[in-house]
Amino acid sequence: MLKMSNIAKIYLTDTVKTQALQPFNLDIKAGEFVAVVGPSGSGKTTFLNITGLLEDYSEGSYFLNDQDVTDLSDRQKSRLRNEQIGFIFQSFNLIPELNLFDNVEMPLRYRKFSAKERKNRVVDALTKVGLVNRQAHYPQQLSGGQQQRVAIARALAGSPSFLLADEPTGNLDSSMADGIMSLLKDINTAGTSILMVTHDLQQAAKADRIVEIRDGVLTENESINQVVA
Amino acid sequence: MLLYYFRLAMLSIKKTPLLSFLMIATIAVGIAATMVTYTVNYMMSQDPVPGKSERLFTVHLSSWDPNMGYRIKDGKEDIPIFMTYQDATNLYADKKAHKQTIISFHKAMVRGAEQPSGQATMTYLRPTTHEFFSMLDVPFLYGSPWTEYDDSQGSMVVVLSKKKNEQLFQGQNSLGQEVIIGGSIYRVIGVLDDWLPLPRFYTENSDAYSEPRGLFFPFQSSINNDWFSGTDGSVYCWGGVDLIDLDAVKASECVWLFYWVELESAELRNEYLAYINSYAQEQRELGRFQREQMNRVMNVAEFIEYNEVVKKDGRIAVWLAAAFLIACLLNSMSLMMTKFHGKGAEVGLRRAVGASKVDIARQFFCETLIIGLSGGVIGLALAQLGLHITAQVYSYLHSELMDMNLSLMLLTIGLSVLSSALFGLYPIYRACQIQPSSQLKSL
Ligand SMILES: Nc1ncnc2c1ncn2[C@@H]1O[C@H](COP(=O)(O)OP(=O)(O)O)[C@@H](O)[C@H]1O
Ligand SMILES: [Mg+2]
Repeated sequence: MLKMSNIAKIYLTDTVKTQALQPFNLDIKAGEFVAVVGPSGSGKTTFLNITGLLEDYSEGSYFLNDQDVTDLSDRQKSRLRNEQIGFIFQSFNLIPELNLFDNVEMPLRYRKFSAKERKNRVVDALTKVGLVNRQAHYPQQLSGGQQQRVAIARALAGSPSFLLADEPTGNLDSSMADGIMSLLKDINTAGTSILMVTHDLQQAAKADRIVEIRDGVLTENESINQVVA
Repeated sequence: MLLYYFRLAMLSIKKTPLLSFLMIATIAVGIAATMVTYTVNYMMSQDPVPGKSERLFTVHLSSWDPNMGYRIKDGKEDIPIFMTYQDATNLYADKKAHKQTIISFHKAMVRGAEQPSGQATMTYLRPTTHEFFSMLDVPFLYGSPWTEYDDSQGSMVVVLSKKKNEQLFQGQNSLGQEVIIGGSIYRVIGVLDDWLPLPRFYTENSDAYSEPRGLFFPFQSSINNDWFSGTDGSVYCWGGVDLIDLDAVKASECVWLFYWVELESAELRNEYLAYINSYAQEQRELGRFQREQMNRVMNVAEFIEYNEVVKKDGRIAVWLAAAFLIACLLNSMSLMMTKFHGKGAEVGLRRAVGASKVDIARQFFCETLIIGLSGGVIGLALAQLGLHITAQVYSYLHSELMDMNLSLMLLTIGLSVLSSALFGLYPIYRACQIQPSSQLKSL
C-alpha cells in the first residue's frame, strides 16, 4: 500500500543544514498497524508528515497505492490526503467555533458529496467513536479524551485507507489514553491501516510492527524488546 | 460550497469582532470620504441639458476697445462672455439660428398683489425671451411661456419658479394672478415644475451651483420699465458711459447680456459662426469691432470648461480622497494579514484534511468580500451623513449636488467590494502559502 525507497529529508535554514531523516526504505501493507517510536527531536513527526504528503522529501521515491506521488500538484496531493489519509494529532486540532458535526464534516466538504451523504458519514463516524448524541456540542464542552475521539471521527469520516496519528495520546491521562488505543485497535481490526507515533512503549507493543527512529536513522524492529534493549 | 465559505466567514468575523470591526470601519471611512468628494464633483460635472447640450451655443463677440484688450486669459487676449445691447438685439432680430435668446438680470422688490406692501422682498429676476424655456427644456407645472408677441411688446407677464409660486401663492395654480415687481403689475402666465440644471451653465460661473432665479419675464418689458442695475450681475464698459441712463447703456459698448442659440444640429456650428463673423464685418465697416476679430461660439460643455464652472480643486479633492482611501485599504490589508496569520492553525488543519491552496483562497476571498461589502454599506451610510453635513455647511450650493443617485450608491458598494478584494489578494496569497506541517507541529 505504501512503499518508500531511499527517502531522506534535509532542512535548510539560512545557515544550518539539518539532516532530519537519513535515507531509508519502508514498506507498509494494507491493514497493518505500525508504531513509530524514538526520542523527541529524532524525526518522527517529519517522517509522518512526509508519509501524509504534508511535507516534501529531499530525495527518494514514494508510492502510495502504486501511485508515484513525487511530482503531484498541490491539488492532486490535497485530493490524495482527503480521500486516502486520515490525520490524528496530539493536540486534537478541532476548530473551536464549529460544533462536533461541523468539525467531523470538514474533510467531506472538500469532496463532491451530497449533503445527505455527508450527514450519513458524519453520523456513522460519530457513532463509531460513541459521540453521536453530542454532535451539536462544541469542542470545549468535551474532555480531552472525547475531543480526541471527535478528531478520530473526523479522520474516519472520509473512509481513508490509512490513519496517521502523531502521539494521539500524548495529551491524555492514562485511562483516557487506553480508551483511545482500544478505539484505534478496533478501527485497525475493521480494515484501516494505522501509522502511529508514540512515546509510550506499552502502547507501541500493541502494534503489529515497530519502527524506530533515532537521530534521523530509521530502523525496523521485530519486537518491542529490541527497542527497550 | 460558496454557502459553506460564507458561513465560515461569518463565524470568523464573529470570532475576532474587534479586528473585523476595525477592518470594516477603516474601509468604510475611506469609502465615505472618497464618495462624498466624488459625488459633489460628479454632480457638478453633469450635463445640464442632456441630449441637447451639443446644439446649444453661447456667442461671444470681439466688440472691445481698440486701444486696450478686454482681458488676458491663460497668457492670451480674451473677449467678453457677455454682449452689448445693440449686438444682442441685432442678432436676435436676425433670427439666424433655429432658436435664440437674450438673458439679462435685474433685482427688485416683489410681492403678490394681495399681499401687503410690507411683505415685499428683494428678489433676483430673470428678464429673457420666450425661447429660453424651450431651448433649456424647462418644465411647466401650470401655463406656458409667453409668446413672441409678448417679447416684441414687452408684455407685463411673468413665469414663476415652483418655489416662488409656493412663496407667493402657497403653491396654488396662480395663473392669472398678479405679482407686483418693482412697482409694476405683472400677470402670472406660467409656473415651472422642479427645474435644477446643474451646473446652471447659462450665466456666470459664480451662479453655477445656486438655484435658478425665481421670476422670468420678457426682456423687452424690463427695457420698457427702464430697469437696469449693475449690482446683481456683471456689466463691463469702455468709452465712458453713464450707467444711470439706460438709453445711454443701450447705445454703449457695455457688455452685460448673455446670448444663447440653439442650432438644429451640431454640424451647423461653422455655418453659424460664419454668419457671426459676417455680422462682425458689417459692424466693422460701420466703425465698431476694430480689434482683431476673435468671435466664437461655444457649446455647453465648452463653455462650462472655459468658465471653470467645475473647479479644478474639486478634482484634486477627489484625488486626495482616493489617496486617503488607498491609505485606509493598506491599513485594512495589514489588519487582514494579522487576521489570516492568526488562522494559521486552521489553514494547516484544513490543508491536512484535503483543502487545496485554491480552496483556502476561496474561503478567505469570501471573507474579504463580506468585509468589503460591510465596509461599503457602512461607508454608504457615512457618505450620506457626510453629504448631509456638506449640504449644511455649503448651504449656498444647491442641495441636489449632495445627493447620491442610485448608480452612485451602487458605485460606492462596488468600489468597496472591489478595492477590498484587490487589497485582500496579498494577504490571501500569504495565507495559502502557509506550510501545513509547520502549523501542525507546533500544536
Ligand atoms: N521546518 C523545520 N525546519 C528546520 N528544522 C526542522 C523543521 N522541522 C523539524 N526540524 C528539525 O528536524 C528534527 C526532527 O524533528 P521532528 O520530526 O519534529 O522530531 P520528533 O517529532 O521526533 O520530535 C529536529 O532536529 C527538528 O529541529
Ligand atoms: Mg513530534
